[in-house]
Parts: sequence; C-alpha cells; structure tokens
Amino acid sequence: MYPDRLTPEFVQSVHFPSARLGRRGLDEARVQAFCEWVESELVRLLNERTALEEEVWRLRERVRETDTVRPEDGHVQAVYILSRAQQTADKYVANAQEYSRDIAEDARRRREDILAEAKMRASVILDEAHASATHAVVEHTAGVLSAPVLSSEPLSTEQRQELETELTYLRTFSNVCRTHLRAYLESLTRSIDEWEHADQTAGRGARSAGRSI
Amino acid sequence: MDERRLKESFERVGAHGDEVALFFYSHLFLGHPEVRDMFPISMSEQRDRLLNALGRIVSDVGNLDSLVPFLKDLGRDHRKFGVAPEHYPAVGASLLAALTHFSGSAWNAELAADWAAAYGVIAEVMTGAAAEDERNPPWWDGAIVGHERRTCDIAVLKVSTRQPMPYLPGQSVALEYERRPRLWRLFSMANAPRLDGTLDFHVRIIDGGQVTGALVHDPGIGSAVRLGPPVGAMRIDTRSDRPIVMAAGSTGLAPLKAMLEHLAAGQTSGRREPPPTHLIVGARAAAELYDVADLEKMAARWPWLTVTPAVSAEKTQRAERGTVADVLARLGTWRDHDAYVCGSSAMVAATTSRLEALGTPPERIFVEDFGWSES
Repeated sequence: MYPDRLTPEFVQSVHFPSARLGRRGLDEARVQAFCEWVESELVRLLNERTALEEEVWRLRERVRETDTVRPEDGHVQAVYILSRAQQTADKYVANAQEYSRDIAEDARRRREDILAEAKMRASVILDEAHASATHAVVEHTAGVLSAPVLSSEPLSTEQRQELETELTYLRTFSNVCRTHLRAYLESLTRSIDEWEHADQTAGRGARSAGRSI
Repeated sequence: MDERRLKESFERVGAHGDEVALFFYSHLFLGHPEVRDMFPISMSEQRDRLLNALGRIVSDVGNLDSLVPFLKDLGRDHRKFGVAPEHYPAVGASLLAALTHFSGSAWNAELAADWAAAYGVIAEVMTGAAAEDERNPPWWDGAIVGHERRTCDIAVLKVSTRQPMPYLPGQSVALEYERRPRLWRLFSMANAPRLDGTLDFHVRIIDGGQVTGALVHDPGIGSAVRLGPPVGAMRIDTRSDRPIVMAAGSTGLAPLKAMLEHLAAGQTSGRREPPPTHLIVGARAAAELYDVADLEKMAARWPWLTVTPAVSAEKTQRAERGTVADVLARLGTWRDHDAYVCGSSAMVAATTSRLEALGTPPERIFVEDFGWSES
C-alpha cells in the first residue's frame, strides 16, 4: 500500500480516515501541517542529492581527463628532460671530436707536403754540391795531370801549394753547402713556428667562441 | 621465464634503438645521481655498448654455455668502474622502467615477471664472478714514468704500477688516464713481465680520438693511470715446436714484442732455444717504423729471430716494399708455422686471408684485432 520510496507526492496524497464518532480523532490540521513539512524537507533533500550527483559527475570527468598522467609520469618527464640534456652534451663532444679530427688530418697532409718539399730541396742541394765537387775534382785532375803526379816522386812545393788551394776550395765549398742547408732548415723551422702560432691563435679563438655559447 | 616471450619483447623494445638506452641511463641517474660519476660526459658509446650487451644476452638466453662466461667477464670487468653489488638492484629497476615504457600496451604482469627473473639471473652471475675475483684488485693504480715520442703519431709509454700486475705476454688492459677520466681504452703490454714491474705501451694517435692524442703529445711524467684486469686470449704456445711467423701492423707490434721477449725469457730460464721466428713489421712510410732499432737489437742478440720491416706507401732502402701480407707472400709459404697477426682490422683481415691462401691452417693463425682503422 506504500510505494518503495517515500516521495513528496506520496506524502501529499496520504489521506487519513476520519476518527470514529464518540472518539477523539487526530487533529486534522496538525497532521496536515506535518505532511507539509515532510514534503518540503524531502524536496530539499532531493535537490541537494541532485546537486551532489552533479558535483560527483563533474569531479569524475576531471579525473578522467587527467587519467593519462599517472603518478610516475612526473618522473618520466624528468627522464626526458635529462635525456635531451645528455644528447646535447653528446653532440658537443662529437662536434669537438670531429673538429679535432679535421685539424689532425689537415696537419698530417701539410706535414707530408712539407716533408716532400724538404726532401726535394735537399736532393737539389746535394745534386748541386755533387756537381760542383765533380767539377772541382776534374779541374784539379787536369791541373795535376800536366805535372808528373802519378810518379812516386815526392810532390813539388808548387804541386803541394796547388793541392792546398784545392783543399781550401773544397773546405769553403762544404761550408757554403752547410750554410745553405742551415738557412733552408731555419726557414722551415720559422714557417713551422708561424704555423704553430697560427694554430694556437685559432685554438684560442675557438675556445673563447665556445665560452660565449 | 619464457624464452620466446622475452625475445619478442626485446625485439619490440629494441626497435626504439638508442632511445631505450637513453631512457635507461636518465632513469638510473635521476634515481641514483652518485652513479653518474662512473661514466664519461658523452654517453653515446656507452649506450651502444649497453644495447649490444643486452642484445647478446637476450639472443643467448637459451644458450647458457655461451652466456654465463660472457656475463662472468662482464661482472669482473665492471669492478674497475667501481661497481658494487648494491648498484645492481638500481640498474634492474631502471631497466624494467625502460622496458615498461617502450613496451607500451604490450607490457603485462607476465612480461614483468619474465624480465625481473632474467635480470635476477644476470645480476647473480655478474656479482658472483665479481666476488670470486675479490683476491685481485678491481684496478691497478699506476703512473706514467716514461714517454718517448717515436714519430709524430706514435709514442712509447712506460707505466709503473703501485702493486705488481700479473699478466701473460700478448694480453691487453683497459687504461684510464687521469686527464681523460672515465674514458677506458685498450692497450697491449709491449713487454714480458719485468722484475721492476714496469709496463710498455705503444700508443698511436687516432685522429679525433680523445685519449690517444693526449697520451702521445704530452702525457706528463707522473700522471696517474688506472689499469683494468689483463684481458685477451692471444698468447704464445711455448710448447709448440713449429716455427713461428709474426705479422705486425704499426702498433700491433706491441703484443708480439711482448711474446718475443717471453720466448727469449723461456730460453734463459733453462729451456731449449725457441723455434725459428720471423717477425714482419709493417708501416705505411719508413718514418713510421717506430721500433725498428730496438727490434734489430733483439734480432742481433737472439739468433732464432729474424726481423723484416715492410713499408707499403713509399720506396725505401730500409724496408721491403709492400704491405705485410705482400711481404709475407714474397718471403715464403709459412705452411708449417704458427702465425700471430696483430694490427688494424683491415691489416688483420688481409694478412689472415693471405696466410690461409699460402697454406697456413686457420687454427694455427692467432689474431688480435685492435679495432682501429688505418687512415
């Protein structure tokens, strides 16, 4: 005779039968007033419940929206940031290595060029010296052949003098040769020094450029 | 632990390549910043190594005969980096985090259990091997006591260790130089063990290399170095009666020189004369034959030793013309010889195939590949 749930409508429709005659019945006005209070109270509760349901739904939505961010995700973000930083460092090191490889290869090429040139110049100097020496010997031989140098007789003062002149000439020649070579070596050393200096300046430039990054 | 499932999982994750290793190390360093100091600034090489090792482990997971020795070596080898047993769980956690991350939706409780079990075994074998190795120091502290620059690109370093380091001639060590911290490079000892314990290393500049340049130019006498445990399987078979041929490309000479000294030392300690030994030492140019003077002295002292220098890129009266392989072929057949070959990858490959073509049985050709390439 009662519905499953108490509703304001039901309370409103409740009819209390009249009390039998000769007996005092309920005060109809009081019953009526009570029912009105129950009704208003129920309406208030239902409204409150609807509001709460809405609040729950709203919160659920918000939770669902942010569901992709799990608790450990903060850590994953950090891992990514650190990974990018590491990759940047790797790249800097790789660039520096590549730069130094280029410089080393360039230096090796230049070294080989310089050595090849030096070898060539040295052989030219030697050839010249050889030619001059041969020439000197030819002249000397021609000079002494006119005299009986092949005989076992001791050398005349004149011949000795001639030979000494020749010897002096050869000594001078060898000195000239040495001076030539030394001058060439010095010019080589100078150019290597200049090169080294240029490299160091370039190195300093690169380093200060590195700092400004 | 399901082998197939593990392999499939690694294949899926491994498809992300370098990213996986990057994630792993970042995860590890965030959780354990103190570990970062064990690694160099640039981590690219390190990441390759990690992925290679993981790949090797996963592909060998069903083949314990091959996997266990590999893991034991790895465990012992990690001692020199200062790795202790308490580091292993941290590494395991980061490995699992990386695997989880890159597996995406394919990750599940079964896979997690598989990987945890697999890592448990890896860590156990590695820490076990490291613990068994406790009687040896994790590394040998030493100092550079000699530096002789032989050519523009090659120097001979002499290192003295605080404690004597036992090794077999032909072996190598990973070396860390104080001015290039956390960069370990392999070098062969170039001498048989001496009474004073000093070690020679032949160092050649690798263009752009971070370590070799500094060591060759001006390492600083007294600079500290650390040496890892001796490694490498190439050693001289002193019981063999067969004649010996040795082929050295550039600083590949180092381990061969150590083995020559070892042969000679065997003789002085009362054994018979070593078998006839022919060393061919090669370089591109005559000026790069950095150790010929010393080798000639050795050949003069030891009648069983013949030394032939070979120069490939120029004509010179000081050496035979050609590559080591060419000169080998010109000098003889080497069919009855034990052959030892050491040098750049290209030199080792060319010389080995030439020796085989000349009739030397492959099982009697012993090789040390230095890994660097001739420029």
